[in-house]
Amino acid sequence: MNCIKRILEYIIVFFVIISFNFFIPRLMPGDPFTFLSSDEGSVHSSYTDEQIEKYKAYYGLDKPLWEQYKDYVYNLFRGDLGYSIYYNEAVSSIILKRVIWTIGIVVVSIVLSSLLGIFVGAFSAWHRNSAIDKIIYSIMIVFSEIPSFLIAMLLLFGLAAGKGWFPLSGGITVFGEYKNVFEKIKDIVHHGFLPVLALVLSQTGGYYLLSRNSMITVLSKDYMLTASAKGLDDRRIIFRHGLKNAILPVITRIFMNLGSVFGGAILVENVFSYPGIGRLMREAVMVRDYVLMQGIFLNICILVLTMNFLADIVCRKIDPRVE
Amino acid sequence: MKKEKLKFSSFSNSGKIAILFMILLIFMAIFSPYICPHPYNLPSGSPFESPNRVHWFGTDDLGIDLFSQICYGARISLSVGISTALIAGIGGGILGILAGYYGGIVDKLIMRIVDIMIVLPDLPMMIILGAFFGPSIKNIIFVLAFFSWTGPARIIRSKVLSMKKENYILVAESYGAGFGYLLFKHFIPEILPILMVTIIKLTSKAIVAEAGLAFLGLGDPTSKSWGLILNHAINFRGIYFTDFWKWWVMTPLIAIIFLVLSIAIISRDLEKILNEKL
Repeated sequence: MNCIKRILEYIIVFFVIISFNFFIPRLMPGDPFTFLSSDEGSVHSSYTDEQIEKYKAYYGLDKPLWEQYKDYVYNLFRGDLGYSIYYNEAVSSIILKRVIWTIGIVVVSIVLSSLLGIFVGAFSAWHRNSAIDKIIYSIMIVFSEIPSFLIAMLLLFGLAAGKGWFPLSGGITVFGEYKNVFEKIKDIVHHGFLPVLALVLSQTGGYYLLSRNSMITVLSKDYMLTASAKGLDDRRIIFRHGLKNAILPVITRIFMNLGSVFGGAILVENVFSYPGIGRLMREAVMVRDYVLMQGIFLNICILVLTMNFLADIVCRKIDPRVE
Repeated sequence: MKKEKLKFSSFSNSGKIAILFMILLIFMAIFSPYICPHPYNLPSGSPFESPNRVHWFGTDDLGIDLFSQICYGARISLSVGISTALIAGIGGGILGILAGYYGGIVDKLIMRIVDIMIVLPDLPMMIILGAFFGPSIKNIIFVLAFFSWTGPARIIRSKVLSMKKENYILVAESYGAGFGYLLFKHFIPEILPILMVTIIKLTSKAIVAEAGLAFLGLGDPTSKSWGLILNHAINFRGIYFTDFWKWWVMTPLIAIIFLVLSIAIISRDLEKILNEKL
């Protein structure tokens, strides 16, 4: 029952996004045919009324709004996101080519930062209120507050432009030739290192604080006292009894954060000219390719919604106490 | 709850430094025409001067003084941040109070919208809106505010909900106190400190979001915020192969980072003080 309600909610959100995508170009001032037919800078149309009628009929814009909407949704479900004016290619195939880069850095950075956050947080909680805990705590807080694209710029200019340790842009060497697969992987890692590092640095703090807090709560529970009274060694107490319980809120957070991580990735990709959809989105904005922009937006939304939905299911599976 | 004036001495050391930095920054923003020795929009030296006695932060590719740009940029970044936070904070606060007080269908409706807004990825949405409606300061403030009211709405709602169960509110209600009376007599004085912290936090978020949009080229080209200085610098062709980045990129970057960090420290301290008071 509850599950059905959640699904219904996601469907509503999904339709809000689709409708938003549908209406926003129609709310803008001006229309494409005036734009197509006018000289630069003037608003006078040189098309006759009949020509405009014909174009409208051709693009289906003479139909009533709700029929246009119906067509739009129908096309979406067929996977047809439209045609990019700038790239001369179907939007879905452009996105498919680029999205893999974004998913790569986002997933890698989430895995690394959550693991790092969990373990350093547990370490900090175990040594709580000691000098080392305080030092780690303040460093983590500072990094968790700085947005990822600013960290990315510091890294880019400090390590790539200043020192020359890393490539300045791109996801892979252009026209690179590789002797074997390992060299290619090495090249990709080399290019992806700084973008991932920027995302990891800005995310780890949040996971660290969460993991530290919940670990401290768990450590003060009676069964932890029992565990140490039984004479179990520290490592067993931390990993088997402590972390297992402390990890749940972190997992929830990972999925809940996905939207903001994608937002961060869009900016970080642009700092490093990384060839993912964030970069693509900026290119689309620069050349005013509205169809492509909307396609990217829709894809990011679907991705984030799906992840949130998965988060709901996963959380319920691993922790039946969640209602 | 004891009523106490917020004292400077109740802040931590880092909090004091952060407050001094913010005061300095606001002072710079307000009095920039009097402080800045050079115009912020006209060349006053040769291009790419490294920081020196005349141009404290150096100059950019057109020979415009960077210190003046930072000063005037502080104006724009701060005013975008503060006005966004005020609109979103007050708007979200009102919705939160309504949802918390009336409950029922009003609450359900508002919270459903909040749920939807929270799931939406905000940066892509801002990019789309910015691209469609054109980059102007007014649009940016509107878009940012539209995506930040959910936080205050949720916080204020839960506060009002918990207050409604308190005895003194129940007593006041049984004497026939209406919404208006309760609002001004009880809710607002209790809510105001919390709302203030939320608004301070939102300010920093909005400044960062504006910087991000400006960095992507979606800022208002006529008002040079810090993000726009970054955008210009990054788009300069030789930026990676020369030393110009050391002052051209780093000054706005460090300015934003310092601002974000000091707001974070201040709001953390404020929260701590609030919690102790309660």
